[in-house]
Amino acid sequence: MNFSCLSRTAAGAAFTVAAVLAAGPSSADMGHGSSKGVGHAGEAAKATRTVEIVMHDNFYEPEKVDVKAGETVRFTVRNNGELVHEFNIGTADMHRGHQKEMMMMVEHGVLEPDRINHEAAKAMQADMGHGMHNDPNSVLLEPGKSGEVVWTFPEDAVLEFACNVPGHYEAGMQGQIMIKH
Amino acid sequence: MKSFGLMPAGLLCLGALLAPVTAVQSGEYNLTVDRVQVDTGSFTRSGIGYNGATPGPVLRFEEGEEVTINVTNNLSESTSVHWHGIILPTDQDGVPGISYPGIAPGETFTYRFPIRQSGTYWFHSHTGFQEPDGAYGAIVITPKKREPFRYDRDYVVQLTDAHPHSGDRILRNLKMSADYYNRKQRTLFDFLDDVASKGLDRTLADRAAWGEMRMMPTDIEDLQGFTPLINGKAVSQNWTGLFTPGERVRLRFINSSAMTYFDIRIPGLKLTVVQADGNNVQPVTVDEFRIAVAETFDVIVRPTEDRAYTIFAESMGRTGFARGTLATREGEEADVPELRPAPLLTMADMGMAHEGMDHGSMPGMTHSMPDGTTMKGMDQGSMPGMTHSMPDGTTMKGMDHSAHGGMAMDKPDPFYAPGSGLSPTAAEPGGKFLSYSDLKAQSPLYAERPAGREIELRLTGNMERYIWSINGIKYEDAEPIRLQYGERVRFKFVNETMMTHPMHLHGMWSILDNGNGRWNPIKHVVSVTPGTTVYMETEVDAPGAWAFHCHLSYHADTGMFRKVIVEGGPPEKAAALTGVSGG
Repeated sequence: MNFSCLSRTAAGAAFTVAAVLAAGPSSADMGHGSSKGVGHAGEAAKATRTVEIVMHDNFYEPEKVDVKAGETVRFTVRNNGELVHEFNIGTADMHRGHQKEMMMMVEHGVLEPDRINHEAAKAMQADMGHGMHNDPNSVLLEPGKSGEVVWTFPEDAVLEFACNVPGHYEAGMQGQIMIKH
Repeated sequence: MKSFGLMPAGLLCLGALLAPVTAVQSGEYNLTVDRVQVDTGSFTRSGIGYNGATPGPVLRFEEGEEVTINVTNNLSESTSVHWHGIILPTDQDGVPGISYPGIAPGETFTYRFPIRQSGTYWFHSHTGFQEPDGAYGAIVITPKKREPFRYDRDYVVQLTDAHPHSGDRILRNLKMSADYYNRKQRTLFDFLDDVASKGLDRTLADRAAWGEMRMMPTDIEDLQGFTPLINGKAVSQNWTGLFTPGERVRLRFINSSAMTYFDIRIPGLKLTVVQADGNNVQPVTVDEFRIAVAETFDVIVRPTEDRAYTIFAESMGRTGFARGTLATREGEEADVPELRPAPLLTMADMGMAHEGMDHGSMPGMTHSMPDGTTMKGMDQGSMPGMTHSMPDGTTMKGMDHSAHGGMAMDKPDPFYAPGSGLSPTAAEPGGKFLSYSDLKAQSPLYAERPAGREIELRLTGNMERYIWSINGIKYEDAEPIRLQYGERVRFKFVNETMMTHPMHLHGMWSILDNGNGRWNPIKHVVSVTPGTTVYMETEVDAPGAWAFHCHLSYHADTGMFRKVIVEGGPPEKAAALTGVSGG
């Protein structure tokens, strides 16, 4: 459980969001870095390379990333858009589960179009016993902010990187991860 | 049809550096206005179309392009073409009597204007009832920059309400009897049912109230008997758009109906709304949405199964439906749902469902929009006064716009009077129905600032005489609304009628105040439901004379219409790009 350093952000203002409510087991597993076939949090020192991801409204550049089986990759993520975006590595099912959590955050006023409302997040935490905490497979960024995700990929999996801010995934803010042998 | 002038697209960048003024792409387009045959499967009639067909062609422009459109009138009567939702110089807007005299029979009018926006729009005649008779087509404008969404296929889905009667005949009939086309009149059996459920006194009181309003609870669509069409095709003709499973499909819904609102869903698919009235909105995923007359909504769907999906569009009054199909191969069909039961208007839609309320004091009434479920204690004797005194809309102010958007699925839509019979619910159990409140600009065009003044526009009418008006005055008797270039003005619509009115301001954007502050969306049509007050603001940035009207054809024609004059402004802007009329 040494991944607390992994989704630290350059600006210190990026957050990942997970397990706001008990979502699917896969998502909860993700939150604790277990592999379950999707990979696990990696150590920055072991990263073989850095992939730069730029977030726009509402798409990524690039929209496709090739990785090697078992490779540890450091993703540096910058939000060049005007809205809050997320970079989250998972399966399509995990993203679907996570989208429900994100919707709840919008409804609680935690997630505004262009900012993360930390006061509302605290209130939500107090109300529901759940809030936001760092999660190694994702980073949630306000406009202009940067963050980082280090991930060790499994041997084989069908993975996507995605923004689960409500509507963004469906609008196409999603990219393919191809695991090559 | 389309030609590019001046220089090839590949040289545009270089051109822009060297000679910014001339480095524009330009396209030339030709439209003929023709008598055409309309075939809905259930009836055929003579109508009006463009380039020999109704709907006319899809005009495809590019943002930044200078378009030249030659419109040749092959009719034996005058015509006009209005570019709905396009921001352009006043003399290019195509409204006879306001922008220009119109296009005489046999003449060609050449429109020239720059395309400074992108998205889905449409065009139609602004003369008489040529539009209900078939004179409409779609406009698709490709943006310069990449769009904030992604799709593999792109279809226009243009809804219309073809009627077997000509527009002139329809208006004659409506003038003779406003309920001429109401096929859902209440019967003796409805009356007996009501007596059984509500008791005789309540039933009689209700009937008296509706009688005084000169309305019936079934007056949702004052024109029934139409055949809804998708891209000119009736249910049996089944317009079909093809896809490969897993692809994202962009559907550009345009409601070009004369009178009909539609509730649209595609069973089995979520709809992600990405544009409203041509402008990008922050994507919102819903199960169903209502499209007012003259609005457009662009949605992204992603069918993953190898099967057909039905695009199902029920009229708001449930008197008819259109259907189309998304299919993996031609001829494939999916189940077509049953039309849901017709809604009935309630006392809330009269804006007056107040328990024990004293109607004598209605004009002064300012607060407490009702829950609309009961009518007990209403003083019927004072009802006639009601037709002129509706709530001032404080509901909207009091309404909880709790900043963070995203209406919970079980909350009623604040854009309907509480208890309204029209308040929409998704057919999908627990499903999400789009509300105006959900619309947030993707990237606001205008900075937020307070409006300098407010203009109240009460939407009024006399159903029995079939006269529609604004502030009780019909167009021909009204003074123009005068705005000053550079000001920001706030319009307050107070709907005092029991019909829903899609209000359309030409030439400038309507910034809908839906409680989202700086994210309030810009639109070209703002729909105002019965018994509600809705606000919109306009940055007055377009000199000249503009039309401002209800887009229901027979409401606009009978008086719910105003001329807006924008005074002042830079002369070069006012004089920009004059159209050339010629033979």
